[in-house]
Amino acid sequence: MKAIRVQRTGGPEMMEVVEVPVPQGEPNEAVVKVSVAGVNSIDGQFRDGTLRTPLPFIPGQEGAGVVTAVGAQTKAVKIGDRVAWSGTLGSYAEYVAAAEEHLVPVPASITDQQAAAAMVHGLTAHYLVNDAHKLKAGETALVHAAAGGVGLLLVQMARAIGARVIGTASNEEKAELAREAGADDVIIFTKQDFEAEVQRLTGGKGVEVVYDGVGKATFEKNLNVMRLRGMLVLYGMSSGPVPPVDPARLSEKGSLYMARTTLAHFTATREELLARTSALFAMIAEGKLKVKIAKAYALADAAQAHRDMEARKMAGKFLLVP
Amino acid sequence: MELVELPVPEPKANEVVVKLAASGVNFIDVYHREGRYKVALPFTPGQEGAGVVTAAGGDVKSVKVGERVAWSHLLGAYAEYAAVAADRVVPIPAGISEQQAAAAMLQGMTAHYLSHDVYPLKRGETALVHAAAGGVGLLLVQMAHHLGVRVIATVSTDEKAKLARAAGADDVILYTQSDFEAETKRLTGGKGVDVVYDSVGKTTFEKGLNVLRPRGMMALYGGSSGAAPAFDPIILTQKGSLFLTRPSLGNYIATREELVARSGAVFGMISSGTLKLRIDHLYPLGEAQRAHRELEGRKTTGKLLLIP
Repeated sequence: MKAIRVQRTGGPEMMEVVEVPVPQGEPNEAVVKVSVAGVNSIDGQFRDGTLRTPLPFIPGQEGAGVVTAVGAQTKAVKIGDRVAWSGTLGSYAEYVAAAEEHLVPVPASITDQQAAAAMVHGLTAHYLVNDAHKLKAGETALVHAAAGGVGLLLVQMARAIGARVIGTASNEEKAELAREAGADDVIIFTKQDFEAEVQRLTGGKGVEVVYDGVGKATFEKNLNVMRLRGMLVLYGMSSGPVPPVDPARLSEKGSLYMARTTLAHFTATREELLARTSALFAMIAEGKLKVKIAKAYALADAAQAHRDMEARKMAGKFLLVP
Repeated sequence: MELVELPVPEPKANEVVVKLAASGVNFIDVYHREGRYKVALPFTPGQEGAGVVTAAGGDVKSVKVGERVAWSHLLGAYAEYAAVAADRVVPIPAGISEQQAAAAMLQGMTAHYLSHDVYPLKRGETALVHAAAGGVGLLLVQMAHHLGVRVIATVSTDEKAKLARAAGADDVILYTQSDFEAETKRLTGGKGVDVVYDSVGKTTFEKGLNVLRPRGMMALYGGSSGAAPAFDPIILTQKGSLFLTRPSLGNYIATREELVARSGAVFGMISSGTLKLRIDHLYPLGEAQRAHRELEGRKTTGKLLLIP
């Protein structure tokens, strides 16, 4: 089969197309013919060595496809099932062997591209609005990077709940996408100070919750835009890690809460993974959640997909089609 | 702190003057006295009290002369009379003594917001309560136990362990003899607790993060051992997408509605017998110095009151 392989860590050019045997799979695994693989920023972090995994490796954590073989101990899936997954390294390939507990069924009402595109970003947006901070109608949320992969889905989900959404984006084009997704107000942070703008937009009251995947660049000002007892959910660090935090500052700024979350802890049990994915897929099938695809690339163009993703010019989800 | 003779205060338009029956002694009074928290000098200490209204300003509508009231977070309670903002005093219901009211305002409302708002405890959950025989601790243990929560308590001595058990703690760890991290893990079968209530700070904070279940809550509401140090947020991810807050009571009684509702809930628990206060240390107003020395020497358990 064809697969993308990283022999040495580095730039996008380190990803090469190779011919390798179809994986056999362990007794608890299923082999899946990949119809689409999702491209995530974490793939770039494994590729360039920021995150470590034994070399050589096939990148890609996320995808959708059809089960072609099952191990002796698998019970949850059978040959011919349409499935999607996240958290399985090796997805940039024609076939991948995945632990069955990572595989979720894809309903007939949604496409493989929709399923693959929604796994990491959609599940993340889902736990952010439902569990990290249980967002309620009438609350106001600040969503940073509102036109990003998670951001566009988070804005839609927050609006569906009935919350007021203030988004931040880097340019007018992205601001327009955030507005289309349902953001009530969008702050172009390259032109306006988001702290002053959020204060103005909320009449000085601040927001109930800040959803922040940016990290370092936004942290300090975030503390000044929350209302009393507000919640800061840090779920990523696209601008770099947040420096050490003195807990007393949370008290001084109004008995604030903070969390630093990651998806794995919100899909830790099979029950939770299935419940979350089925809620997510239902929203997509009903048209309540639109998954924007930036571009689908041929598998052999993985390097270009990484370049385009890292250039941050196109909004939405990057996909590879083997 | 010296005892002086002063004129009885006159109420401003929005104030009432209260003849104090009891004043609560709290650690924050020590911080004010030492200058760790700045207050304009000279000042009359004391943040908490209860008594009878003797005069009301022209704009006051919510309370009348002769009513029994209590308050917290208003300086000047170590006195025979105090002038306080009328919208920050709450009525004391019949059946609650002024001593009980004074003793419950700060610590009772703190235990209430911790167990009902910071992390709303649910039946079947497990909470770790540090300093469980302390002023807030004993009340928090009772409230958590009443909510059907398993309480693991930490204390320093056998005597305090008995108090924590009597308040409803299911398990008590003598942290002077055993490691609370290892013990909490053992007691929860490695799963960890849903919430840690920590007023100790520096000496307990980091281990506290290790005994939380994934997505658990660290409620850091004081620093009796010193302030908890700055921490790298990624630690919260590594230890299981943890939540953290550093609350203070003022932000949980910020509106008149919330103050009245919260104090009313605490008084209700006292009336129904759900919440038992330990008022073991009464001092005449003139012995405020001794009260502070005994509080700082950690020789006391339960509440200290000054009686003017």
